[in-house]
Amino acid sequence: MLSRFTRLGTTLPRILANSGVRFVSQSQKSASAGSATLSELLPPQDSHDHGEVNHYVKNPDYHGFSTDPVVDQWNMRLAFFFGVSVVLVIGGTFIHYLPDYGMRQWARREAERLLKHREAKALPLIAEDYYDSSKIVLAAAGED
Amino acid sequence: MLKILIPTLFLLPTTWLTSSKWLWPTALTQSMLIALGSITWLNNTTDTGWTALNSYIGTDPLSTPLLVLSCWLLPLMLLASQNHLSSEPMNRQRMYITLLATLQLFLILAFGATEMIMFYVMFEATLIPTLLVITRWGNQTERLNAGTYFLFYTLAGSLPLLVALLMLQNNTGTLSLLIIPYAKPLLLMPFGSKIWWAACMIAFLVKMPLYGMHLWLPKAHVEAPVAGSMVLAAVLLKLGGYGMMRLMIVLDPLSKEMVYPFIVLALWGVIMTGSICLRQTDLKSLIAYSSVSHMGLVAGGILIQTPWGFTGALILMIAHGLASSALFCLANTNYERTHSRTMLLARGLQIALPLMTTWWFIASLANLALPPLPNLMGELMILTSLFNWSAWTLILTGIGTLITAAYSLYMFLMSQRGPLPQHMLALPPSYTREHLLMALHLIPLLLIILKPTLLWGWFAC
Repeated sequence: MLSRFTRLGTTLPRILANSGVRFVSQSQKSASAGSATLSELLPPQDSHDHGEVNHYVKNPDYHGFSTDPVVDQWNMRLAFFFGVSVVLVIGGTFIHYLPDYGMRQWARREAERLLKHREAKALPLIAEDYYDSSKIVLAAAGED
Repeated sequence: MLKILIPTLFLLPTTWLTSSKWLWPTALTQSMLIALGSITWLNNTTDTGWTALNSYIGTDPLSTPLLVLSCWLLPLMLLASQNHLSSEPMNRQRMYITLLATLQLFLILAFGATEMIMFYVMFEATLIPTLLVITRWGNQTERLNAGTYFLFYTLAGSLPLLVALLMLQNNTGTLSLLIIPYAKPLLLMPFGSKIWWAACMIAFLVKMPLYGMHLWLPKAHVEAPVAGSMVLAAVLLKLGGYGMMRLMIVLDPLSKEMVYPFIVLALWGVIMTGSICLRQTDLKSLIAYSSVSHMGLVAGGILIQTPWGFTGALILMIAHGLASSALFCLANTNYERTHSRTMLLARGLQIALPLMTTWWFIASLANLALPPLPNLMGELMILTSLFNWSAWTLILTGIGTLITAAYSLYMFLMSQRGPLPQHMLALPPSYTREHLLMALHLIPLLLIILKPTLLWGWFAC
C-alpha cells in the first residue's frame, strides 16, 4: 500500500516506510516520562498472549476484519462494494428517480409557471375570493 | 415483501452452513443485499398509501422509513460486531448473527404488520433475541440486571395492551390497520375508557421510553454489546413510537384530555435526562440518556396528534436512529481500545486518532440537531406543533434544545479535545472497518437532507 506513494517521488515512501511506529511519538528518548516506541511496548514475542495484539505487526495492510490477510482484504472489498457502490449509489439513484409522490414537485413547478405567466400579462396573481361569490347563498336579513 | 423476508429468513442457514473463514463477509453481503431490496419499499405509488399489500403485511408511508432503517441496520451491526466477536468460539459467533437475523425478521414483520395482534406478537417477540444478546454477550456482571429490567418493564407495560387490543377487537370486529381508522370511536364507560386508553399507550410509552418509565434504557444500552446498543437505540425504541402513532388514530376523542400528563412528562423528561447527560462519566450512559431525551421529544410530537407533530416525530425517529447508532459505534471504538467506558480515561483522541474525530464531530453535530440535518427538521416541527398547542411548552423545549447542544458538545470535547492521557500509548489506529461503519451511518443521514419527503410519512402528499 505504501508503494503507491512512489508516484510522488521516492522521498515520501522512504519516510513512511521507515516510520513503522507512525502512531506513537518519534521524539528522542530523554528524561521525559511517558514516551516510548511501539516496539518497546509490544516486542514481537509477546504478540501471542491475550493482551493487546497489534494486528498491523503481522499484516501491515490490516483492515479490521480478519487476521487472515486474504479474507481481510476480500471482506473489505465486499463491504465497500456492497455498502457504498450497491446500496448507497444504486439505492440512491433509485430513490432519486422515484415518482413525484403526491405531485408536490409538479405543484411547485405549476405554481411558478402560472405566476410567471400572470406577471407577464399583468393579470392578478391570485383571485381574491377563494369561493365563487356568485354561488354563495346568504340568508335574508330577517330569517333565522 | 417476500423478497426481503425470505432472504432474511435464509440468513439463518447462511450463518450455520458457511465456513468459519467466510462467515462474516457472507453474512455482511447478504444483509446488504437485503438492505438494497428494502429500498424498493420507498416507492409508494398507490392512492390508499398501502404498498406491498397482502392479507398479513403491507407497508405505508409511515412504516416504510422505519423498515428501511431496520434493514440497513443489520449490515451495520455485523460490521460493528466483527472485531469483538473474533476471539469467541465459532458457534457463539454464529449464534450471535442468528439472533441479530431473527431480530431483523421480527422487526420487519412488526413494522409491516397490518393487523394489530400480529404487531403485538412481533413487538413482544423482538424482546427475546435482544434479551439474549444483552445477557449472553454483555461485558459486565450488571448485564443480568439490565436484562431483567429490560424484559420486565416492557412486559409489564404490554400485557395491558393485549387486553386493550382484545377489547378493541370485540367492539369493532377488526384490528386491521387498514380499516380501523374508519371504525366508529369506542363508547365505553367514562372511567373504563380512560383505563383502556392508558392500557393502549403504556406499553409504547415504556418502550419509547417516557421519562418516568425509562429506567430500563440506560441499563440495557450500556450493558449490551455494540450491536445490541445499536439496534436498541436505532430501531427498538421506534417500535414504541410507531405503535403509538398507529393507535392514536383509534383513541380519539379520549386523547384530548388524556395526553396532558404524558406530554408534560415527556417534555420534562427532555430537560431532566439532558441534565443527567451533563453529569455522566460513562460514555455509553451519556448516549443512552440522550436517546431518552430525544425520544421524549418524539413522544411529545406523537401525543399532540397534529400532522406536523406526527411528521416531526417520524423524521426525528429516523434521524435519531442513525445518529444514535453512530454514536454507539464510536463509543465502541473507544471501548475496544481502552476497555473502559469512562470518558476521562479516553480524552484527547483528536491527537491520537484524528480521522475518527471527523466522525465524532459529525455524529455530535447530528445529535445536537444542527441544520440542515433531519434531526433539526424533526425537532423544529415538533417544537412548532407543541407551541401551537400551548405557548408554555416553548420554555421546556427551548431549554431542552439548549441542554442537548450542551451535552453533545460536552461529549465531543471530553472525548476528542484536551490532553491525551499519559497511560494510553499503544492505541491501534482506526481500522478501515470502523471508518466504513461510520461512513455508512452518516452518509445516509446527510443524503436525507436532499430528499426529506421520504420521511414525511402520511403527509408527503
